[in-house]
Amino acid sequence: MPTKQTFAEVFESRGVSRRDFLKFCSLTSVALGLSPELLPKVVHAMETKPRTPVIWLHGLECTCCTESFIRSSHPIMADIVFNMISLDYDETLSAAAGDQLEEVRKKIMKEYNGKYILAIEGNIPMKDDGVYCTVNGDSFLNIVRETAAGAAAVIAWGSCASFGCVQNAHPNPTGAVPVSDVIKDKPIVKVPGCPPISEVMTGVIAHVHTFGTLPELDRMGRPKAFYGTRIHDKCYRRAFYDAGMFVRGFDEESTRKGWCLYKMGCKGPTTYNSCSKIQWNAGTSFPIGSGHPCIGCSEPGFWDKGPFYSRLAEVSFLGTDTTADQIGMVAVGAAAAGAVAHAAVTAVKKKQHDNESEK
Amino acid sequence: MGRLIEEIYVWRVPVRVYHWINALCIVTLATTGMYIASPVINPPLGEAVWQHNFVMWRYIHYCVAFLFVGNFLYRMYYALLSDDQYAKFGGFRPWSPAWWGTPFKEQVASYLFLRDDEPNYVGHNPVAALAHFIFIFCGSAFMILTGLAMYGENRPGSLIEGVFGWILPVFGSSYNLHYAHHLMSWIFPFYVIVHLYAVFRHDVVDRTSVTSSIITGYKHKVEDERDL
Repeated sequence: MPTKQTFAEVFESRGVSRRDFLKFCSLTSVALGLSPELLPKVVHAMETKPRTPVIWLHGLECTCCTESFIRSSHPIMADIVFNMISLDYDETLSAAAGDQLEEVRKKIMKEYNGKYILAIEGNIPMKDDGVYCTVNGDSFLNIVRETAAGAAAVIAWGSCASFGCVQNAHPNPTGAVPVSDVIKDKPIVKVPGCPPISEVMTGVIAHVHTFGTLPELDRMGRPKAFYGTRIHDKCYRRAFYDAGMFVRGFDEESTRKGWCLYKMGCKGPTTYNSCSKIQWNAGTSFPIGSGHPCIGCSEPGFWDKGPFYSRLAEVSFLGTDTTADQIGMVAVGAAAAGAVAHAAVTAVKKKQHDNESEK
Repeated sequence: MGRLIEEIYVWRVPVRVYHWINALCIVTLATTGMYIASPVINPPLGEAVWQHNFVMWRYIHYCVAFLFVGNFLYRMYYALLSDDQYAKFGGFRPWSPAWWGTPFKEQVASYLFLRDDEPNYVGHNPVAALAHFIFIFCGSAFMILTGLAMYGENRPGSLIEGVFGWILPVFGSSYNLHYAHHLMSWIFPFYVIVHLYAVFRHDVVDRTSVTSSIITGYKHKVEDERDL
């Protein structure tokens, strides 16, 4: 595969017309939330800039991010993005394997020192020197440190790499940590979700390629363009929420009518993602669209905020089946009981006191 | 218990106005807040477009919340900048070991029936002052900060989001923030019960008319009152 090809050259060699190329550029700018005036800039970048080399590492993960990525919705986009970022190392997608592939990684690290993008899927087990995830005989921890040293920036794919996900859910037997706990000296873009939406993944890469900078990040390190609002804010069932029309059980008429899933434990009101805007599988649907409450898979620690089908999580330090409301009611009940008991003792003491003063 | 010597004007108008606005706000906020967490009223018939049931609960919660914030700031202003000795933080020094000394111990002992006489104070007794600090000052500040952070979530890019948005990462996630706000709201019904009981009890036992003092402003001085 020749390196330093531009996007436009790749298009041309694959027989994609100029019209389709421009369509791709405008779609990309829309996906990135750019104003129309910036379209020429996108086109220019796609035509002239060499493809960004990407090393894509897989750690402790399930590969759902890659599965999502290769299903990028726009038909052309799926093919194009797959071929266009110079994806030089990826255990799942590379044709080469074993030592050959490892050599490619070393080569990219040397040739593009300080210029390549390191994409990490999955997180890093830290316990026992990282022995719980090894690639090619070395611990993933070492590989991440080594590869990150020469990277221009790091993209943390998915909830695992961003926040920890199921691997570092309680009790976290392997000591799994998100990428940001291991790499401290590089800019990190967190693209959470289990998996993240494919268009969000390709959009982040397109932004980095087009502008040579990372997209604007929010306080949690996520691209603002895709994680700026909650699922709830753009949910098509929002009208039912505002109206107070809630689904109360999956076997009810309200479910069939598509009312709000708030009471079924929907985490949409606390989940920052684009599911309700971009949706999944070429804009076909998303969990709430299929009648299932959002489980908040792009939020930190969402596995420990269960159960998925109730509004309030259990309070983990008190064992199972205890919610905040139960604690509150016990406290209020105790206060009331205490007040009654105290009043009773006060009355008895007062009586005694009165009797004594009478004597 | 001593003989009634004189009337003392303890709670001036700003304090009483603050108290009742605060009471109203807390009751409304707790009620609407609990309802928002678990809406129980059955869905109305008809189309969603004509209904504003749930959004009204939230709207009332927000409006009253801003009144609550304003009232809190007004009270802080009055406590810090007025010359009202009973409204200031003057005597409250929990960082100093001396504050936890005799008066505090006496008051605790009295509440635990370890003493027969009731120490009397014109303003708040030390235990009451501590309870107010924990529940009303810290509790309100916590609810205000977490509440404004959540309000900012509704309006990304707004001023409130810009000023209070940092609170969200402190809690780790939006869910944790909601959770903490909800869990902490239970301190208010807890406090209200203890507060009402303590006030009524002092009224019965001490006869300092503490209950009516928050309406009239007057308490009654009794002869064995300790100097503050």
